[in-house]
Amino acid sequence: MEESPLHPFELHNWLPISLGGLDISINKAVVIMWVVVSLVAALMVMAGSARKLVPGKLQSMAEMMVDFIRGIIMDTMGKEGMRFFPLIATLFLFILFCNLIGLIPGSYTVTSQIVVTAVFACLVYGLSLVMGFLLHGVKFLGILVPPGTPAWLLPLMIPIELISQLARPISLAVRLFANMTAGHVILGVLFGLAISGGLLIGWLPFAFTIAMNGLEVGIAFIQAYIFTVLTCVYLGDAFHLHGHDEHAH
Amino acid sequence: MPPSQDPLYAGLGQAVRIGTDLLAALIVGGGLGWVCDTYLFGSTPWGIVGGLVLGVMAGIRNAYRSAQRWPKT
Repeated sequence: MEESPLHPFELHNWLPISLGGLDISINKAVVIMWVVVSLVAALMVMAGSARKLVPGKLQSMAEMMVDFIRGIIMDTMGKEGMRFFPLIATLFLFILFCNLIGLIPGSYTVTSQIVVTAVFACLVYGLSLVMGFLLHGVKFLGILVPPGTPAWLLPLMIPIELISQLARPISLAVRLFANMTAGHVILGVLFGLAISGGLLIGWLPFAFTIAMNGLEVGIAFIQAYIFTVLTCVYLGDAFHLHGHDEHAH
Repeated sequence: MPPSQDPLYAGLGQAVRIGTDLLAALIVGGGLGWVCDTYLFGSTPWGIVGGLVLGVMAGIRNAYRSAQRWPKT
């Protein structure tokens, strides 16, 4: 029996619902997203309900997580970035748990659908644009001109900067989607080899499957971390125009 | 859970970023050039050629800029 390694990414409607021509059917990805949301909410509520001075296991884990996200925000945005803490913590926890739950055999990796990652990326980038124009007004367009650019370079620099700005949401969305999809395709191919190889040679790809699964856990963390860091960097750019460039020189 | 100052995680994060930064700028540049060609000016090969060149420049500039932010160790 041959099966495409992309087969696990296909979605079938479990409960077809159509609302005014809009397809809002329930499928596996939707259910897994509900599971992730309720899992994260339950964990955080349970961890926060005790509020002991000497934290228990769950509470200290939640405190470490919050402290970690706080560290990212302080490193990239500074103190005024803390007002975005709820959004950034939610994004981080949701993406992290989506990535991790997808590693359980039989479940589904929601972040391997580019629709999901693109919505997050557009949300983050749109928010940074709105923040920038609210804080700086028309001067925010100055983000297209790096400081210290000579006037004769402007016709070249503005298109380049425009492209690199527009590339931000795309690189955010594609990075997460591509990493999760590629990891699961590799896992699928290796496991297919293990099954078709039989006992004589099949143990070799099976051992690789186990090793890759461990690597994928690391990738799940790193991808959630990168998405969060870049969210902070883009929002921070909207806050202090050219702040980082001046800092670097 | 790694702390944000962990050099291994920070380094891996930086390394993974740069590849997609290059690629995304190239996609956007080529895409804008293609839109100019097909819908706006009808300047068929030149829009996508110029867009790709600008995209490569923007991608390298993106990678350079994120490398500038690396912590010095």
